[in-house]
Amino acid sequence: MKRNLLFLALAAIASAHAQTARPILIGEVAPLTGPAATVGTRLNKASQLWAEEVNAKGGINGRKIELATCNDEGRPDKAAACLRDFQEKGAVMIFGNSLTASLRAMQPLVKNGPLLLIPSPNVVPPADSYAFQVSPSDLHLTEAIAKYMKENGLSKIGMVAATDASGEVGVESAKKVFNDQKMELRLARIDLRATDASTQLASVAGPDIKLVYSSYTGAGAATVVKSFKILGLPQPLMVSYGNMSEAFVNLIKDVAPPRLLGTSVAALVPDQMPAGAERDRARAFFDAYAKRFNEKPDMINLLGRAETDVAEAVLRKTANPSDYPAVKKFLESTPIESFHTQKFSSTNHVGLDASSVMIVELKDGNWIKAQPISSR
Amino acid sequence: MNLFSQAVISGLMLGAVYAFLGIGLVLAYRTARILNLAHGEAFAITGVAAALLVKAGLPLLAALGLSLLIALAFALSLHRFVLRPRADWPAATLILITLGAAFVVRGVLILAGGTDPVSFPALFTGMPLRIAGGVIPMQGIALVLLGFGVSAAVGVYLARTRSGKQLLAAAENPFAAELVGVDVERARLVAYGIGAILGALAGILLIPLIAVDFQSGLAMTLRGFIAAAISGMSPLGVLFSGIGLGLFESMVGAYLGALYQDPVMFFLLILVALWQSRHIRFGGTRRA
Repeated sequence: MKRNLLFLALAAIASAHAQTARPILIGEVAPLTGPAATVGTRLNKASQLWAEEVNAKGGINGRKIELATCNDEGRPDKAAACLRDFQEKGAVMIFGNSLTASLRAMQPLVKNGPLLLIPSPNVVPPADSYAFQVSPSDLHLTEAIAKYMKENGLSKIGMVAATDASGEVGVESAKKVFNDQKMELRLARIDLRATDASTQLASVAGPDIKLVYSSYTGAGAATVVKSFKILGLPQPLMVSYGNMSEAFVNLIKDVAPPRLLGTSVAALVPDQMPAGAERDRARAFFDAYAKRFNEKPDMINLLGRAETDVAEAVLRKTANPSDYPAVKKFLESTPIESFHTQKFSSTNHVGLDASSVMIVELKDGNWIKAQPISSR
Repeated sequence: MNLFSQAVISGLMLGAVYAFLGIGLVLAYRTARILNLAHGEAFAITGVAAALLVKAGLPLLAALGLSLLIALAFALSLHRFVLRPRADWPAATLILITLGAAFVVRGVLILAGGTDPVSFPALFTGMPLRIAGGVIPMQGIALVLLGFGVSAAVGVYLARTRSGKQLLAAAENPFAAELVGVDVERARLVAYGIGAILGALAGILLIPLIAVDFQSGLAMTLRGFIAAAISGMSPLGVLFSGIGLGLFESMVGAYLGALYQDPVMFFLLILVALWQSRHIRFGGTRRA
């Protein structure tokens, strides 16, 4: 009898130890190849860095992070397959680090969990879902542009938007925001294969237009910038959120127009943030990232960090991260500390808003807070 | 700024790209009877290699020359070591092999240059030229002149010179051509080489105006294919289909919007295909 009891006790201890030692599986769906590889690889680096940092400190509650990345190549069908695979393997959380179309394909699949974290501004998750967006939405970014225009006394804007799903979101936001603000929007669409944007720019950048906005990201955005420079347009050109990267700056630095503006989360320029914990977090991330990858972090990396901050808060502060309704309730009621505090609610699953957006300007290869348009 | 003038300039530049890529594709098809889906990789290889070499400190001209040679070596190797030993395989299989080669190039370019788009400085610099309310950069002028000039020269070479005719004969009837002393394999190798040089030239002239990444090759193959298909795979015809397509696409983009470009372009392609297949559809004879 005594021997049996001893055996049972040992088995219970062993089982408990196995439970605590079992790693926490986090699934990441990211386009590591394909048209959106620039975005996918950057977000993946932020996830990797986080997993390494947490594991180096012994994990969370004694459990290490196991980050599994599935390359969806930016294809919605593959993204859905990646997500189903992670669900079967018991991932407690999914990082939706892919493009608009892929995110739209994944979102309905997490009806009953797990948590899907989204750094893209283009997909606004419904509040009754398990999806949470850690970036300001595209609407917030457009509101920030409208605010900047108002501050500078502008009432007209020219816009070049791609013909893909992201471009569509940009156009919808622009139509809504600029219409609400009684501002005139002059719009031209550009095909993803375009080798020149001069026709689009010629149609939107008349002399009465004092600001041109390109919502295009990646190689196409460089085409717009180069065409803008060739045409010798005098207005400032504003590029979108996804272009706030070192790679983009390197690509256009020799051909940038006199004033190149952009939309970004304010943490991209930590010096402009008020002193305090949020600025310290942003700086700490910049330092850690630069040390780990030997490159300057950018906006996309920052959004990756916002995502992992939310993930870490869930893993540390909830009793059971696999209890999805409880996790949802936790996120809806608890502000999450990051470089900008993420505030979700039961009616809103977008953690940041227009107040976290800054209009920035490229100066000597660095993004700084944008100067007023009238100052030049 | 005049929208019409800008659309014409933009269309001519685009047409030159179509012509550059289309004629290389036609050449490979007419000599080897294979649609080379890795054709556009010469463009991507040249672009990524030149950007990396310039970044590494090589002078621009040397970087461009070396990149062109790398693209040429790729195309010649594809034919000599991959396609030629399998010449008796079905054409469809060989086409798939060229697609596979294109994906191999993508992988190599990712390893070499990463996933970010890259570019390099323009070869022809100076103030852009302003014509009738439109603007064209010096590099754009070079692209238009060389694109149409070189494509026309290749067309004339094929139609008028002895070695050009040998290239075409190698495609029409390789056995008969060999009987009259044409070195068919050499002719095919020359065709792949010319195609690669044209693709590389397109890259050298266009990429400073845009950017290139590891996946640009297939998009360029598609451009070349549209121009080639509309021309009926004709070496001289592709020059005109290139100009026509470039102007048409630019005008559609300027006056209807970019959302209409693809539907209109592919509708046009279908119409041309139907027109060209009219003899087949009506029992091998002209319709009465």
